[in-house]
Amino acid sequence: MTPETKTITITLKVWRQKGPGAKGKLETIQVKDISTHMSFLEMLDVVNEDLAKNGKEPIEFDNDCREGICGMCGAVVNGIAHGPKKGMTLCQLHMRKFNDGDTIIVEPWRARAFPVIKDLIVDRSALDKIIQSGGYVSVNVGGSPDGNAIPVPQEIAEKAMDAAACIGCGACVAACPNASAMLFISAKVSQLALLPQGKPEAAKRVLEMLRKMDECDFGNCSNERECEAVCPKEISITHIARLNREYFKAGFFSEFK
Amino acid sequence: MQPDAKIPGGPIQEKWDRHRFELKLVNPANKRKFKIIVVGTGLAGSSASASLAELGYFVKTFCIQDSPRRAHSIAAQGGINAAKNYQNDGDSIWRLFYDTVKGGDFRSREANIYRLSQLSENIIDQCVAQGVPFARDYGGLLANRSFGGAQVSRTFYARGQTGQQLLLGAYSSLSRQIADGKVQMVPRREMTDIVVINGQARGIVVRNLITGEHESHEADAVVLATGGYGNVFYLSTNATSCNVEACFKAYKKGAFFANPCYTQIHPTCIPHSGDYQSKLTLMSESLRNDGRVWVPAHSGDTRRPHDIPESERNYYLENKYPSFGNLVPRDVASLNAKDQCDAGYGVGPTGYAVYLDFADAIHRDGKEVIQKKYGNLFDMYENITGEDPYKTPMMIYPASHYTMGGLWVDYNLMSTIPGLFVLGEANFSDHGANRLGASALMQGLADGYFIIPYTIGGYLAGNSLPDVNTSHPAFKEAIGESQNRIEKLLSIRGNRTADDIHRELGQIMRHYCGMARNENGLNKSIQLIRNLRDEFWQNLLVPGSDKDYNLSLQKAGRVDAFLEFGELLAIDALARKESCGGHFNEAYQTEEGEAKRDDENFCHVSAWEYKGYGQKPEFHMEPLVFENVELTQRSYK
Amino acid sequence: MNWLFRTLRTSIGKKLMMAVTGLCFICFLIVHLIGNLTIYGGKDLFISYVEHLHALGPIITVAEWGLLTLALIHVATGLTLFYQNLRARPLRYKTSKWAGGRSIGSATMPYTGVLILGFVILHLFNFHFVDKENASIFQIITTAFANPAYVIIYVAAIVVVAIHVSHGFWSLFQTIGANHPKYMPIVQTLGLLVSLVFGIGFGLIPVYISIMV
Repeated sequence: MTPETKTITITLKVWRQKGPGAKGKLETIQVKDISTHMSFLEMLDVVNEDLAKNGKEPIEFDNDCREGICGMCGAVVNGIAHGPKKGMTLCQLHMRKFNDGDTIIVEPWRARAFPVIKDLIVDRSALDKIIQSGGYVSVNVGGSPDGNAIPVPQEIAEKAMDAAACIGCGACVAACPNASAMLFISAKVSQLALLPQGKPEAAKRVLEMLRKMDECDFGNCSNERECEAVCPKEISITHIARLNREYFKAGFFSEFK
Repeated sequence: MQPDAKIPGGPIQEKWDRHRFELKLVNPANKRKFKIIVVGTGLAGSSASASLAELGYFVKTFCIQDSPRRAHSIAAQGGINAAKNYQNDGDSIWRLFYDTVKGGDFRSREANIYRLSQLSENIIDQCVAQGVPFARDYGGLLANRSFGGAQVSRTFYARGQTGQQLLLGAYSSLSRQIADGKVQMVPRREMTDIVVINGQARGIVVRNLITGEHESHEADAVVLATGGYGNVFYLSTNATSCNVEACFKAYKKGAFFANPCYTQIHPTCIPHSGDYQSKLTLMSESLRNDGRVWVPAHSGDTRRPHDIPESERNYYLENKYPSFGNLVPRDVASLNAKDQCDAGYGVGPTGYAVYLDFADAIHRDGKEVIQKKYGNLFDMYENITGEDPYKTPMMIYPASHYTMGGLWVDYNLMSTIPGLFVLGEANFSDHGANRLGASALMQGLADGYFIIPYTIGGYLAGNSLPDVNTSHPAFKEAIGESQNRIEKLLSIRGNRTADDIHRELGQIMRHYCGMARNENGLNKSIQLIRNLRDEFWQNLLVPGSDKDYNLSLQKAGRVDAFLEFGELLAIDALARKESCGGHFNEAYQTEEGEAKRDDENFCHVSAWEYKGYGQKPEFHMEPLVFENVELTQRSYK
Repeated sequence: MNWLFRTLRTSIGKKLMMAVTGLCFICFLIVHLIGNLTIYGGKDLFISYVEHLHALGPIITVAEWGLLTLALIHVATGLTLFYQNLRARPLRYKTSKWAGGRSIGSATMPYTGVLILGFVILHLFNFHFVDKENASIFQIITTAFANPAYVIIYVAAIVVVAIHVSHGFWSLFQTIGANHPKYMPIVQTLGLLVSLVFGIGFGLIPVYISIMV
C-alpha cells in the first residue's frame, strides 16, 4: 500500500498437536516473502496455503472477526499472549512489528482448564460455564421498566463499560503464571456490581462464579498483573480488587452460604 | 404462486396488537413439550433462544464458533435506534418508521417496519435491565447521538462497542437459561441440512466440527438466525466464518430467497492491500464529518498526496453535492468512490482507494481536537496500514458490509417452509433496498426478544405436529447427502484451495455485482461463476480429513454454497430492472447519476424458488403496498 | 461455621488468609526491627530491651503461639496455592516472557517463601531455642556473627525477605480489595519503602555486629 512495503523471511516455530490427547511439538517452518502489511493471521493463512499445496495439513487456529472484538483468536507469540504489542488481539498484530530473519514461536493458550483441541485451538468452554454460573441479571423479556427509570451516574456507567469490554479471549488465563481466570470473572462481577441492575443478585453471583472458577481447574490469583499487561481491552486489576471486596461482602456479611 | 405475507388487517398502528391477540397461545404446561431448534447465536439467535426458554419451551441452540458470544453481531460499532424521544427533538414511532421506509428506498414492508419501530422502545428497556452499560449523560440518564444522517438523536450506544454489549446482554440471558437446563447449547457445529417432514421443518443435521461426526436433532420448529451473505464478495467487513450455507440449504429445501441483490457497501473501509488480505476493516462513518474526500484531478497521478497541489485535486463529493458534501449517504458515497477509481483516478498501489484528508481539519481545529474525536480510529488505521493519518491522508475504499436480502419470511417471520422461522440479517423483511445506520441491532433484537416468542407459539398451537424422532429416514437421507458431499470435496485433490477459489469468486462478485451493475456484466458474471463452479468441483484441494477439526473442509463447504448463491444474486440483480438503495443498475439513473426507481414495475419483493442444481430459479413476486407513506425520490444535492 | 470454611476455602478465601497473615508478619517485623535497632544503642540498651520484652511474660507466650498459628496458616495455604497453581498448567510454555506485570518479587513468592521458612527455623534455633542460662542473648548474637558464614546467610536471608515483602505488601492491599486509583500508587511506594527498610534495617545488623565485635 505504501512505498515502504517490504517482504521479510521468518522462521516459524509453531505448536502442532493432532488432537486433545496427543503429544504435541514445535514444528519449524521457514516462511519467505511475507509482506509487512500482512496481519499475523494473514501470514498464517499464507503458510497454510503453502502447506496444503505441499500435501501437508494446515495449522489450525481459531479466528473469526479479525478486528479484535470477537475474542476467538489468540496464541502465545514469543512468550507473550496475543504477541508483543499491547492492547490488541493476535488478529490485530501486523507483521511490520517483526524483522527480517526473526524466529517466531507460536504456542496455544496453555492451562488445564483449556485443553488443546488441535494445534493452536483450545477449548475455552470453561469461561462460558463461569458466566452460566451467575454472570447475568435475572430478568425475563417483557416487564422491564423504562430505560430511564434506572439512572446510572456517568462515571459508574463508564467504569462498568471498562469492565464490560472483556471479549472473553482467555489471554488473561494464558498469561497468568498460575493460569487463573480472575481477571475474566472480575470483569463480569465488577460490571454487574457497579450497576444498580446487578445489585440484587450481587452476593449470590460472586460466590457462585468464584466457586465455578475453582471447580473448572483454573489456578489462583497471586497478583502477578500479567493478565492486565496482555489484556487486549486493557482491563485493569482494580476490577479484581472489586471482585475481592464483593466476595468478602458476600462471604462474610450476606445471608448466602 | 404469490407468497402470502399474512399482514394483519386494520390501521398500521394496531396491526401488531391485533395480531398478537389473534395468534393462538400454547398452554403454559404444554410449552416444555415443544422443542425448538435455534441455529446461530448472534443478536437474533441468542435473544430468541433466551426468550423462548424463558417462556418454557425446550430450546436447542447451535453455533459455529466455540462460544455463543463470538457471533459477528459483536462487531457492530455505532449503536441502536429507538424511538424513545428522550431528547425531546421530535422523534416518534412514526418518524422512525418513516425514516426506515424511506432509507430502504421504499422496498420494504410497511407493517414490519412499523412493528419494528414500536418494539424499538422495549428493546432499550430490556437491554438496560440486563445491565448493558449504555452511555449516560451527566445526570445519569441514557445518552443519545444522531447517527447515519438522521435528523433526530435516537441512537443509543456503548462507546464504539454497542453490538458487543448488546450481544453480551443477550448471551447473558442465554447463559442463564443454559444453567437452568432450558437451553441446550451446542457449539462448534455447522448446520449441514434442514430436515423437512410432511412439509414441515422438523429438525436439522449438523456436523460436529471437532470430531467430524454428523448428528441429527429433531424439533417442532426450527429458527435460523445465521446472518448475512456478505462474504460472497470474499473481502467484506464480515467475520471469516460468516456464510450463507445454512440459508442456502433452507433455500434448496423450499424456502424462498428474497432480494439477494440488495447488498450494502460501506464507504469508509481500509482498502485492500494485497492478495493475502482476508478481510476489510470498517472505519467509523463519523470520519466523514471532518475528513475531505479527494482524488487527483489527473488520472494515473502517482505523486505522493503532499506533492499534489490543491489545484490538481478533485474533491468530487463536495463538487457534486454542494449541500451534503462529504456527508452524503452510504450508497452515494460508495458509488462515487467506485466511479472515480474505475475512471482511473484511484490512488494507492491497487488504484482502488480515495483519499480522506484531515489536513484542513487539523489546521482548523488543531491536532488535539482531532485526536480527541478520532484518536482510536487513527491508531487503528496506523496499526493496519503503517501510515500516520495525522501526516498523510487516509486511504479508504467501500466494502461489503451488510446484506438486506435474505430468506423470504411472512409477518410471523416464517419462511415458505412451515415451521422454519428466519430472524435477523438472515431474513429480508425490514430494511428494503438499503439499511440505515443503527438499525441492524434493532431488528435482530426485535425479532428475537419480541416477535418470535409470539409468532412461534401461534404456529405450534395452530398446527398438528405428529411425533418425529431422529430415526426418521429423512434424517438419514440428509446425513447421507452431506457425507457424500464431504467425501467428494475431499477426493478431488486438485490444486486450488477453497480460499483461492473464494478469492476469485469475490473478484467476480465485486466487479460485476458490486456497487454498480449492468446487464452485460451481470450476464458475464453468471458465466464466470458457472465456470468457477466447474473448476471448484474438478480442481479443489482440501487437505486433511473429515475426522477431526479441519477448517479447510469447512471453508470448502461454505464456498460451495457461495458459488451457487453468487449466481442467484446475479440473477436477481438482472431481474430488477431499476436502481434502488444498494442495488444500482447503471442503465437506471437520473441525469445526475442517482438511483432511479421504477415504482410502477418493481415495487415488489423478488422471491426465488430453487428448482434444482444449475436450473434457473423460479421467480415469485410479493407486491409492496404503501398505504401510509408516499413514495418519493431521494435527493442529496 | 460451615459457611466460614466454604468462604475461606475458595481461591479468594485462600488469598485472604495469605494477605491477613502476611499483614500480621509485616507488623511483627516492624516491631521486631524497632526492637533490634536498640543494638545500635550499645550492649546495655539492647539487654534492657530484651529484659523488658521478657518481663511481659504470658503476653509473649500468647504472641509466640499466635505467630506460630499464623505461620502455619501462611505456609500451609501458600504451599497449597503453589501446588494448585502448578497443577493448573500441566504443560509449561516453551518460551515465556514477562509481559510487564510481574516483578522479581511476584515471580518468586513461593520460592522466597520457602527460603524464609528455612531461615526462620534456623533463626529460632540460633537465638530462641538456645541455652540462655549460661550466656546472655547479647553474647549469643555476637558469638554467632563472629562467624562470617552466619553474616552472609543472614544478610542473604534478609534480602530474600525484602524481595518477598516487595510484592507481598502491595499485593495484600489488592487482595483485601483496597485498590483505589488515588491510594494504590502510595501503597506501592510504601511497599517498596518497607521492603527497603526491612532489607537495610535488618540486613545491616549482622554486618554491624560482626564489625563491632
